[in-house]
Amino acid sequence: MPTYGELRAAAEQAWKPIAEPPRPLFAVSINTSSLAAGAQATLDALRGLADAGGFDVMRTGDTGFAWAEPVVQVVKPGGQRVLYGPVTAERAAAFAQAAATGVATEFAVGVISGDAVAGVPMLADLPWMKLQVRWMMEHCGVIDPEDIDHYIANGGYAQFDQARAHSQDELIEIIKGSTLRGRSGSFFSTGTKWSFLQGAKAEPKYLVCNADEGDPGAWVNRVVLESDPHRMLEGMLIGAYCTGATYGWIYIRDEYPLAAARVGKAIEQARAKGILGADALGTGVRFDAEVVRGAGSYVCGDETGLIASVNDGRGMPKIKPPFPAQSGVLDQPTNVNNVETYTAVTTLLRLGADAYSSVGTEVNRGTKMFTVSGDVAKTGCLEVPFGTKVRDLLEAAGGVAGGRSLKALQQGGPLSGMLPAQIALDLPLEPEPFRPLGAGMGGGGLVFVDDWACVVDLNLMFAHFLEDESCARCTTCRGGNQRMVEIFRRVSRGEAQPTDPEHLTSLAASFQYSNCFHGTLSPTIMNNTMRFFRDEYDAHALEHRCPAKVCEALIRYTVANQTEAVAHAAAVCPTGAIARDGGAWAIDDTRCIRCDACREVAPGDIVIEDRYKDAIPLRAIETASVARAGG
Amino acid sequence: MTTPDNEATIEIQHLIRDFKPLDGDLLGALHAVQHRYGYIPKIALGVVAHQLRLSEAKVYGAASYYSEFRLTPPPGTLIGWCSGPACHLKGGDHVRRILECQLGIGMEQNTEDNRVGLHLAQCNGTCERAPQVWVDGEVVGPLTANATLDLVRKLKDGA
Repeated sequence: MPTYGELRAAAEQAWKPIAEPPRPLFAVSINTSSLAAGAQATLDALRGLADAGGFDVMRTGDTGFAWAEPVVQVVKPGGQRVLYGPVTAERAAAFAQAAATGVATEFAVGVISGDAVAGVPMLADLPWMKLQVRWMMEHCGVIDPEDIDHYIANGGYAQFDQARAHSQDELIEIIKGSTLRGRSGSFFSTGTKWSFLQGAKAEPKYLVCNADEGDPGAWVNRVVLESDPHRMLEGMLIGAYCTGATYGWIYIRDEYPLAAARVGKAIEQARAKGILGADALGTGVRFDAEVVRGAGSYVCGDETGLIASVNDGRGMPKIKPPFPAQSGVLDQPTNVNNVETYTAVTTLLRLGADAYSSVGTEVNRGTKMFTVSGDVAKTGCLEVPFGTKVRDLLEAAGGVAGGRSLKALQQGGPLSGMLPAQIALDLPLEPEPFRPLGAGMGGGGLVFVDDWACVVDLNLMFAHFLEDESCARCTTCRGGNQRMVEIFRRVSRGEAQPTDPEHLTSLAASFQYSNCFHGTLSPTIMNNTMRFFRDEYDAHALEHRCPAKVCEALIRYTVANQTEAVAHAAAVCPTGAIARDGGAWAIDDTRCIRCDACREVAPGDIVIEDRYKDAIPLRAIETASVARAGG
Repeated sequence: MTTPDNEATIEIQHLIRDFKPLDGDLLGALHAVQHRYGYIPKIALGVVAHQLRLSEAKVYGAASYYSEFRLTPPPGTLIGWCSGPACHLKGGDHVRRILECQLGIGMEQNTEDNRVGLHLAQCNGTCERAPQVWVDGEVVGPLTANATLDLVRKLKDGA
């Protein structure tokens, strides 16, 4: 079996033509976001042009620049690196010619390294990059995630190789001392968690990597696994050394097929090089791993739900104790950490504890990855120091799209809350400041909500999600979420009962008797709404009015101006609701399904107005009979 | 004598031959079956149970628990409607209303001719293309109401 030094030397040979390419090298980002933007066609087109154009083409992972996909990075023999995007297949030829011979300024996002180029900013000066400290994302969009040599040549697996220089206890102490805590949203000390498994008596012991990133609007783990899977795997190996675990399961949600394929490949390559196996890299550590693909269940993100899912069954969270460190996968002692947590361990050791502590806050040192989406100008993944203000991150993402104003931040998935702009913008991104607000920071998803949105409507959407995803073990969660849906549905229809706020308060209390976080945290968004957005709730409940004009039962589409555009709108209406009534166009509200197709065609001429102009008695409202069928 | 039923059994046995009892293999075995047939046929539940030495009830319990496992044959084209928050903020409900109205079906239903089906899908983080649907797994977006109308008419007519 070769030593680490031999593996490294061979890997450096393989990496050299990429670091110092003999002719221009086009690195095309291939990840779930870029594929959705047509990156496979871009890659194919560039490959077809490569020989004639005198350049080479390689594949890389995810730069985090989802807003610029398909992204291509061009490295020149002199060392100049420029990031481009979007580069579509249709324009690949024009792009390739310009980028191979000079700089394709029209496509350029920024210059990564090398001389300044007129008309193109330096990448580091972009607002998107200025705040970022890309430690965990160091290789994202740089290396080929399907080539282990790229990782090894850049120092990969050196931390595992050198781990033996410390005793297990020393290494666990270093991790504890770093303030590193679980990145899924629980923020439990990683070193402490590892010491539980290390202290467990029974053998064998297992590690699980939780890549069941189910929070809608979060894809941090996907970026890591699609761009640098070995960095996560090295974190598991370091964990294996510290705890004595001998086998690992990497549980990847069904929505991430590319991540699953790349981790599977990473495992095979690591095994072939003796990095996984009976005597990993000659260190005496015995460790191997496999991928388990989830099949669509949010509560499998809970560690006991995930373990139940691996253990041949329904992924229903269990009552603790026993804790996983006592009895987990196959009833053996098990440690579960999130993808970003294992990745952060490798990163911490690569940097050294002092450098790692040079950014962040006193209690949360280092960096955290976030994904920004919703009503922001730029959607994507960023890595910033803990403590970065929400306001600064929003600015980095280009602010609220369309120049509208921010209404709320919906952070960390459906269990972490929804906070009004005036409070959210000044929050530092670390878990502690969120807690007194009755919220959490969560695992990294940040959804920005502008003033066109309705919080009652959002609440109903999340209530539906929580109801669907309840495993139904606890009555408080199953029934509580059904009740929450029922109440928010009638509020959104203007049919609230005067006692509903009391019902919600009592529901929030009963949720606390649920077993897992899915139940206990289900009322978080609802509590935030009642505390911070009571005016909007009351507008629906007391005035039968949706101020944002979103809730379907409280609005109606009407013709404001009799124009030619309205005739076009009538032609696209899927239910034939727009018809001439004595020469004038009118909308039959009983047929209208509120799909907005007409308003897209005739903006300004067709408008949305309140369905009920004056307050009407409670419960006396007919339901909007929606013509669902036919068309 | 080889009946169609035991031919299928033999094929499924072969498909899942590497999966072992007490090894965390149930999801893998069910994925393998669904990958082959597009759904998990009833007959496969017994074969998987036998291979992994589980009760058939336990296998059914797992197969029916997860939203991405199908116990009925898939439609010709499956439209996954993304239910995530970024899609919601950008008009995801408009897209849903058009899909349901034009196809005359709700989520998790197929058209009578089994040509098109609707599935409530979870966010995969391609939120820069919100609102979106996945047509047989391929992201289509950002959609408008009118683009959705065009898409669904094409799919419905099989054009």
